[in-house]
Amino acid sequence: MKQAIYGLILYIFLILPPVANLLESIMIIHMHMQMPLLVFSGFLMGRYVITRFSSFFEKWNSNGIPGILLFVIIWSYWMVPRAMDEALTLQSVEMFKFISLPFLAGIPLRDSWKKLHAIGKDILFIYFISMLILMAWIYIGADDQICNNYLIVEQKTLGWGSLALAACVLLYLLQLLFTDQSEYQ
Amino acid sequence: MIQNKQNLIAISLVLLFGVVIFFIGTDGFQAFTTESARSYQLMQNQPSFPPVTLEDSNERTYSFNEFADGKYVFITFMYTNCGTVCPQLEFNMADVYQSIPEKYIGEDIVFLSISFDPTRDTPEVLAKYRTYFDSDGETWRMARVNQQDELNRMLDTLGVVVIPDNNGNFQHNSAFYLIGQNGRLLEVMDYTKIQEASETVLDYLGETEDTK
Repeated sequence: MKQAIYGLILYIFLILPPVANLLESIMIIHMHMQMPLLVFSGFLMGRYVITRFSSFFEKWNSNGIPGILLFVIIWSYWMVPRAMDEALTLQSVEMFKFISLPFLAGIPLRDSWKKLHAIGKDILFIYFISMLILMAWIYIGADDQICNNYLIVEQKTLGWGSLALAACVLLYLLQLLFTDQSEYQ
Repeated sequence: MIQNKQNLIAISLVLLFGVVIFFIGTDGFQAFTTESARSYQLMQNQPSFPPVTLEDSNERTYSFNEFADGKYVFITFMYTNCGTVCPQLEFNMADVYQSIPEKYIGEDIVFLSISFDPTRDTPEVLAKYRTYFDSDGETWRMARVNQQDELNRMLDTLGVVVIPDNNGNFQHNSAFYLIGQNGRLLEVMDYTKIQEASETVLDYLGETEDTK
């Protein structure tokens, strides 16, 4: 319960206009900090929602696949350059961001993750890595502005940041491979 | 079994939702960046070129409509201090200019490079700049818009986004614009595709000739 309250506080903090404006003023923070934090706030709030509506989640997300697909779709949507741009210029898109990331990505992620088979988790990690590398390739390689609201320098920073993230996820996977997880359980 | 069925329904619904948000978010999978969305929107709306007063490299002052005078106008937006995109944009514009048969030039179509940096791009600066691209200063003119409000309205109407960075430069989007004889925007074209752009222009010019 405490967790859900922390999540709610984090969520309210993130949608305060001055906080949102500050986070959105820098491209890499917009994508790699504000958005994940929104998902995280939903993840925390999820605890309450999932217990409260446990029969719904049990019924419609019994194997975790619908939930994880929803998460992937929402996350991928926010990787589209135009979506990021329009979040800054269109109020409706900004609202959709604040609703979709915590409630349609964060909560389903929490409910689905523990239900997923190991293979599903692996697929998700590989998808993450390939998306991040693809983004790095697009954002570092492009000579044109991809987002009209951000400078090319910021675009390149975001590209390198995505590559660094991809490397981190890869390292995590590698250590999983070479350590005996049962020792820690 | 029932569980499976419900999962299947849930998966289908989620996928459908995904298709719908991507469809709406990208104008039916047409535009994945704001820039492409902008060109797409502009060509749907065909806005009129807003009234602006131009001052060209020969220090002549006239309105856009006086200059266009019922002809097609091929336009680019630039500033002379730009070291990256603008020279390329103008070189490509020169290529398009040269690909148009002489009989049309000045008669049916005129070319115009508009600077959005009026403080530094004085007529003298523009006069020098135009020689780099073999612009003759008549059928292809380079001009600035002195009135800030007129400049802003023009950039806004045509969807040109100009962000000053802190080093006296601008970050801006670039394209070829073709304004029709009625003063409305006809085409926003990729400035890197010279061949395509000149073919499009020639198509319009050819049609005009047919109706004469």
